Amino acid sequence: MTHTRKWLDRSLAVLVATLMAALVLDVLWQVFTRFILRDPSSWTEELARYLMIWVGLIGAAYAAGRRMHLSVDLLPGALTGNRAHTLRIFIESLVLVFALAALFAGGARLVWVMLKLGQTSASLQLPLGYVYLAVPISGLLIAWYAILDLTDAIKGLRNGNS
Amino acid sequence: METVEIVVLVVSFAGLLLLGVPIAYSIGLATLTTMLVTMGTWPALTTQAQRIATGLDSFALLAIPFFILAGQIMNRGGMARRLIDFARSLLGLFPGALAHVNILASMLFGAISGSAVAAASAVGGIMTPQMEKDGYERNYSAAVNITSATTGLLIPPSNILIVYSLASGGVSIAALFLAGYLPGILVGLSLMAVAGVIALRRKYGAAQTMNIRQIFWKFLDAIPSLTLLIVVMGGIVAGFFTATEAAAVAVLYALILALIYREISFRDLPRILIDASGTTAVVLLLVATSVGMSWIMAYVNIPQQLTASLLALTDNGIIILLLINVILLCVGVFMDITPAVLIFTPIFLPIAITLGIDPIHFGIIMVLNLCIGLCTPPVGSVLFVGVGVAGTRISRVTRPLMPFFIAMIIALMVVTYIPDLSLWLPNLFLK
Repeated sequence: MTHTRKWLDRSLAVLVATLMAALVLDVLWQVFTRFILRDPSSWTEELARYLMIWVGLIGAAYAAGRRMHLSVDLLPGALTGNRAHTLRIFIESLVLVFALAALFAGGARLVWVMLKLGQTSASLQLPLGYVYLAVPISGLLIAWYAILDLTDAIKGLRNGNS
Repeated sequence: METVEIVVLVVSFAGLLLLGVPIAYSIGLATLTTMLVTMGTWPALTTQAQRIATGLDSFALLAIPFFILAGQIMNRGGMARRLIDFARSLLGLFPGALAHVNILASMLFGAISGSAVAAASAVGGIMTPQMEKDGYERNYSAAVNITSATTGLLIPPSNILIVYSLASGGVSIAALFLAGYLPGILVGLSLMAVAGVIALRRKYGAAQTMNIRQIFWKFLDAIPSLTLLIVVMGGIVAGFFTATEAAAVAVLYALILALIYREISFRDLPRILIDASGTTAVVLLLVATSVGMSWIMAYVNIPQQLTASLLALTDNGIIILLLINVILLCVGVFMDITPAVLIFTPIFLPIAITLGIDPIHFGIIMVLNLCIGLCTPPVGSVLFVGVGVAGTRISRVTRPLMPFFIAMIIALMVVTYIPDLSLWLPNLFLK
């Protein structure tokens, strides 16, 4: 399990850093073409917006794996032992529901609808369905992490340690 | 009245938050539950996914990842240290000098970077050990660092003012940025006043004093970092580039400077990019889910109903502003600033406009108000970082934070009831 987790962490880190670097280069190129070449590029702004959707959503999965998302830890902080594990199981199940229902199922249907309508972006002519593919992919990844955390918590409950 | 929907939304959201479900998922799940009550299953799921994707589809929002990245580079690239040295050369002779230095350094760091979290970790990381060596109590140092870091959210460039611009439906980012200067400086001075009183009481001394020549060299050393302020703000106010482009230029500038200083090398870049993406994604997921919640709130007419009931209560502008401030202070205790701005701007801004309050002024009120919430337990991203950097615990900094909270609330009242403090600079430069 820890092996899968490490592999997933590392792959996502590489992917997200690459997307972020592309995002910076893209907007710098926009500034360069506008001020130095005086011939503003027509596609950089659109690409930047779509790259950010990917950085945000794939990054959200990376952040989920590193437990970076903010939460109110009044209750989790007050519980120990089996109660803490039970609460953990409950919380991760809710995360799993959100990831699978809203992000994965809703996202997959959004992609399907967009592809069926054949909508493309204004300047790059990119099918919007592919742009929105970030939503279901992010959902699957977050669900994967939730399942890993869920199994850890269930193991903890069985072994009865904290 | 869509009473059922409102009850479902509020109860599920509060329940999820208190259980300890991460805030972004709590917002998403509460929105989803309310959508399921309002519409069919597939439309609800698809709408939610669509709001999340389109919520991030904004060029203005792009400034956020860039300012976060620039902040990370400045943090590790030696810029924070140079600003601190400069602040120290100016304020070294005052009693409680290091607390003042921390506050001024946070303000200067805030003036070149867009995120309070970067300021808290950059300035706090350097100041905490120095303050400890000089006999300052660690929890007190953490309290100074945490509260002063929030000045960076008012002093431009500021990520949260960009979020407000988005939530308000397009209030000018340049105007908001200019509006933030004086209130940000006011908060900084209020914090310094508290630090001064505490220094006299506890007999915290001055730091070593410097002669004019040393002060001059420290200033010279800080100039390349301070130039960023002119490049970014000058460029935005003069209309040369958008905030997003300015932020990308800030990344490049900070990177070149850090490489020249030899504080970071190209090998450090992947790590910096990864850390910045993680921090960015936390904010962006909050943005994405909050946009969905704000949409469902409008769909079930919550803003209109709240406006009607607030205005039915009284039509006295001063009292309504006070009420809004009290509500936002309570919101800020439990909610991070980004979702709070995205969710409550569409609710309160129409009321403010009805009362004749300028949307720019209202944005500054909201952000300053929610800054206080960023430092209050149990939730506050700046609080978390500040406590982590100082190696202490939330329960221990709560007491030392109190006098600073009072100073911030007084500053909030001044900013709320003196509109010119916010509006003078934008009127001067942009009209």
